[in-house]
Amino acid sequence: MVNSGESLRWWVVAGLLLMQFTIPSLLYADMVRIGVLSHRGDQATLRNWGPTAEYLHSSIPEHDFIIRPLKFDDVNPAVSAGEIDFVLVNPGIYVNLEVKYRVSRIATLYNRRNDVPYKIFGGVIFTRHDHAEINTLADLRGHTMMAVDDTSLGGFQMAMREMVEQGIDPYTDLKALRWGGIHDHVVMSVLNGEVDVGTVRTDILERMASAGTIELKDFHIINPQQVEEFPFALSTRLYPEWPFSKVAHTADTLAQQVAVALLNMPHDHHAALAGKYAGWTIPLDYQPVHDLFMTLKLPPYQYLGKITLVDAISRYRYWLLGGLLMLLFMVVLTLKVMRLNQELKKAKDRLELQHELILDSVADGIYGVDMNGRSTFFNKAAERITGWGAEDVIGHNQHEILHHSHEDGSPHRAVDCPVYQTFRDNQPRFISDDVFWRKDSTSFPVEYSSTPIRDEGGKTIGSVVVFRDITMRKRAEEEARQHQIELARAGRLSTLGEMASGIAHELNQPLTAISTNAQASMRILEADPSNTTVCVDVMERIAAQADRAGEIIRQLRRFVRKEPLESSQVDVNVLVNAVAVLIRPDITRADVRLILDMQQPLPKVLVQPIQIEQVILNLARNAIEALSELHDRERVLHIGTRQQPGGIIHLWVRDNGPGIKPELETTLFDPFVTGKSDGMGLGLSISYGIIEAHGGKLSINPDYQDGAEFSFNLPIGEVA
Amino acid sequence: MDQTTPTVYVVDDDEEVRSALKLLFESVGLPVVCFASALEYLDRFDESLPGCLVVDIRMPGMSGLDMQEKLNELPLHPPVIIITGHGDVPMAVRAVQAGAVDFIEKPFRDQILLDSVHRAIEMDAEKRGEASRLSEIRDHLNQLTPREREVLDLVISGMRNKNISEQLGITLSTVEAHRSRVMEKMQADSLSHLMRMMLTLENE
Repeated sequence: MVNSGESLRWWVVAGLLLMQFTIPSLLYADMVRIGVLSHRGDQATLRNWGPTAEYLHSSIPEHDFIIRPLKFDDVNPAVSAGEIDFVLVNPGIYVNLEVKYRVSRIATLYNRRNDVPYKIFGGVIFTRHDHAEINTLADLRGHTMMAVDDTSLGGFQMAMREMVEQGIDPYTDLKALRWGGIHDHVVMSVLNGEVDVGTVRTDILERMASAGTIELKDFHIINPQQVEEFPFALSTRLYPEWPFSKVAHTADTLAQQVAVALLNMPHDHHAALAGKYAGWTIPLDYQPVHDLFMTLKLPPYQYLGKITLVDAISRYRYWLLGGLLMLLFMVVLTLKVMRLNQELKKAKDRLELQHELILDSVADGIYGVDMNGRSTFFNKAAERITGWGAEDVIGHNQHEILHHSHEDGSPHRAVDCPVYQTFRDNQPRFISDDVFWRKDSTSFPVEYSSTPIRDEGGKTIGSVVVFRDITMRKRAEEEARQHQIELARAGRLSTLGEMASGIAHELNQPLTAISTNAQASMRILEADPSNTTVCVDVMERIAAQADRAGEIIRQLRRFVRKEPLESSQVDVNVLVNAVAVLIRPDITRADVRLILDMQQPLPKVLVQPIQIEQVILNLARNAIEALSELHDRERVLHIGTRQQPGGIIHLWVRDNGPGIKPELETTLFDPFVTGKSDGMGLGLSISYGIIEAHGGKLSINPDYQDGAEFSFNLPIGEVA
Repeated sequence: MDQTTPTVYVVDDDEEVRSALKLLFESVGLPVVCFASALEYLDRFDESLPGCLVVDIRMPGMSGLDMQEKLNELPLHPPVIIITGHGDVPMAVRAVQAGAVDFIEKPFRDQILLDSVHRAIEMDAEKRGEASRLSEIRDHLNQLTPREREVLDLVISGMRNKNISEQLGITLSTVEAHRSRVMEKMQADSLSHLMRMMLTLENE
């Protein structure tokens, strides 16, 4: 179907026909549509060809004929859609329709040229007469040319065939090829000097000359051809004039009727005059047109023969242009990407340099480890500290180089290496006490961290190890520890001095019992040598008392000796019991009741036993001293132990004495702070230091109101 | 317990020391009574019992020195022997000032302690004897009439009979009669004996 704009035009045409020619039977007659190429505008086409339609109606009254002007691009669609029954187009279009839509010619037009009918025509190539340098087709190279349209048969394609056969490609060999759109414009452009060369169909120049628009002498014809009985300037072969063709669907009888009517039209019929033609002749051979199209490889023969590069270029020039533009775009893009890449690389290099600078300027050793345990980088500080060069380590197993043995020389298995453990659990870890090995096979104490490196996906790809030589720190720690030990021992000796009389009494008791018993036995035996029964009993008592004295001596010796540096696993209850022996005289003298509330069994703690004993003793003696000020009630000293959640042993020493003076509470653990008139004030400060060195804390319970309560915690299994 | 046999009273908190001392004293035939604390002894104190005390200086509750002070408040108590495991000078001075008969450091030779105990028992006996003499003199003194007592005092002051008669406004023969009754009632052998008895009283 046609669209609304199209149908409007149909009705306009019909209206015009109705107004100009009275056709009563129009509405009832079978409408025959004749498509006419409208190269001079629809009005001109209707004016020129309306009379022919009228002529046909008069010859074939049972049919109404209407003219449908077709623009160049409308022809193919109109034919393919069956919107027209006959078609009148130039031979070039016809040849295409013939091949594509099986239209067939039924008559060829007699063109009226200077009142002479010509059924053939050609193209003329011309310059303005003052272009003396252009004489042959070959001379056209390098000049500007204007033609009517690349689809115009007489106005371009005929001339092009001649040029191509002379080896000139108008698209490439000319300086420029422009389109004038209509013949007259081409002529005027040449005349005005806008272009060097023009080409139009034959008879245009003559017609314009006879109309007075131009003068023929102003033009020079290129490649002039002389053909008998053809009076017009001509530069090309001749081709048959426009054919009148039937479309495939048109009935043969109608076609015959139309053909007969056309052939019978007198050459001076007013319809012919209106159409500026001179009647019709039998259809001519259009093979020359086919040949032309084959030569030019134009539709319908565009795929014939070998397509040369030039052909391809000319045929696909828009594609090529597009492609080239694309290519250009790609090149520009690529260049841009390359430049970006370069900038990125530069930035990356700069960053890497910066990284390296940072890595090399820190004091801590830093190296990377990949998932295979191989070192990936090794900074300057690491080189300085270990003596290993980066080249010794990078790419090699860091564990075997730096971390192969424990401090005592026993092998450090890779399975236990914290660096590799980091890979397994993805957890950063800090190791405060380990050793690394230098290149000269000496070891040094280190603390280090191992942190997993993850890629963008969060997958661990290695780890970074940051380590520090802690020799100095360890030495300082050792010195502090030695100092602490000395201080503790001094504290013990001072404590013992204070306790001397009590201890002497405590020792003298069994000695007195022993010596008295022994002497009594001698007297008994002297008096009656047979009285051994009593003496055996007494001897047993003597032995027991000697043991008792020995035990006290043992405790004392243990307490005053320089304790070994090694900590040992001990049960805190054992220490409390030892202290209970030492404070017995004090307790006795001060009339204190000692309550031991110890949890049994208790996990062992790794401590310096004497020092912890010293702390307990200090606390107990302080408590006893405080209790001696108490006169109104029973004096009770309470020592207890408990295991607490979190791997902690809790020990407390509690008395029901007057308590700690509030003003002393905050400074209680400072040295030389004392609540006693004869004390040095070192006991608690030393005790505080001892517990702190064991990873615990000595504190006073501020909530305990019935006296004083001191307590401390010791971590189970913690290295002191 | 035989009221008249001097006994050793041992006060020591240490059971072993107590039993050893008991064995020692018994081996020389001395009766022994042991107490574990000063308070225990004070509770059962009887001043009529002769003997001596062997006391440890360091004891829970009341120390040996404290106990000694308590005993000194009483008119009569057994002599105190202090034994100590730690003989420091201030304590010894204090003990002796308070009247301890001896201060013996533990451990000790048995003979030293035994000698000390024997001496203390003798002292006790003496003290007890003297005490009985004094009460005898007082009894005699109480039998004198006021006039006889006046005459006694003046005789002791060294006055002659003549002066006494002038002083009291009585005749010389009356003075002599009083004086012979005084000598008789006081059971004095001589004037010097009478004066010794009176001096003893004054010293108490």
